[in-house]
Amino acid sequence: METNILHTHKDLVEKSKSGDRKSQYQLYELYVDAMYNISFRMLGTKEDAEDIIQDSFAEAFKKLKTFRYESTFGSWLKRIVINKSINHLNLKKIPISPIGQYEHKISEETSEPLQVFDINKIKNGIKILPNGYREIINLYLIEGYDHIEISEILGITISTSKSQYHRAKKKLIEIVNTLEYNG
Amino acid sequence: MDNFEKYIQENRHLFDDQKADKQKIWQNIESNLDNTKVIYLWNLSGLKIAATILVLVGVFSITGLFITSEFNQSEQNEIVHQELKDIDIYYKNLVSFQVQLVNNHPKLKPENKKEFLSFMDELDKDYEILKLEMTKNLNNEYILEAIVNNYKKRIELIENLLEQINDSKKSTDNESYIL
Repeated sequence: METNILHTHKDLVEKSKSGDRKSQYQLYELYVDAMYNISFRMLGTKEDAEDIIQDSFAEAFKKLKTFRYESTFGSWLKRIVINKSINHLNLKKIPISPIGQYEHKISEETSEPLQVFDINKIKNGIKILPNGYREIINLYLIEGYDHIEISEILGITISTSKSQYHRAKKKLIEIVNTLEYNG
Repeated sequence: MDNFEKYIQENRHLFDDQKADKQKIWQNIESNLDNTKVIYLWNLSGLKIAATILVLVGVFSITGLFITSEFNQSEQNEIVHQELKDIDIYYKNLVSFQVQLVNNHPKLKPENKKEFLSFMDELDKDYEILKLEMTKNLNNEYILEAIVNNYKKRIELIENLLEQINDSKKSTDNESYIL
């Protein structure tokens, strides 16, 4: 599967490397929605997500020559989008890891299991999460990065990534359960 | 992995619920790429200049090496060449001196002079071609031989002319005797 993905896009990637605008557009069309969703989840607004996607694709095409098929093109591009989104949040001075703020409250609470599995409620819950928690939930649960990768992306230690993820998950379940009660 | 995590991972695709404004974003990407293309080319031309200088330096040093090694290799050739040059200059001077003599000789008929000089010019032309060939390939026996023949012909021509002069002298002497 993985190798198939590599092969099906290799031709497009190679043509894009040499600056072929048509191939670049084809690659763009294949990935733009997925990338836009990633950025939108991280940043929360349409405008910010669009800015990041523009920058990411432009940068990706410019430094495509450095892409050596060590991963799929998609995951390479995704990493650019993620890094740019994180940088954007940092520039906006949105604290990524507000651990101290929530640490005590959450550790005092007993963790409840999720009562009803409803994807829409979970989505809403993630949107309400504090930025730092939303970040790590997105990266781990939705984008599928492991704690080693997350530690690299966020510039934190692996153990911080693990502990923060667990706090974020607890918080999310708590929020989703509240939404259930309210709904 | 608990049920909550499993549930989310199984339904990951449902989180992609946004649609990007494809055309708008692409336009911005394209204009970004076009803008930077100019900068990129500018950088490239800077790079090109640097690369050209590097290549030139490389070529010069390589040809320098080549020439010096060639020089060492062809030191013997150089000596031979010098000797040939000396011989060449010697004969050339000799021939031109004799041509001058003939030219200034009062007893020669103008037609004979003209004929002689035109022959000499022809041989000069041949000689120039041969000399060019010789600089291209010094070791070519045929060219060296041809050059020697060229000189021989000149000398022959001059000898013939001298004979004619002497004949005419004799004849005039004879005439005087008769007279």
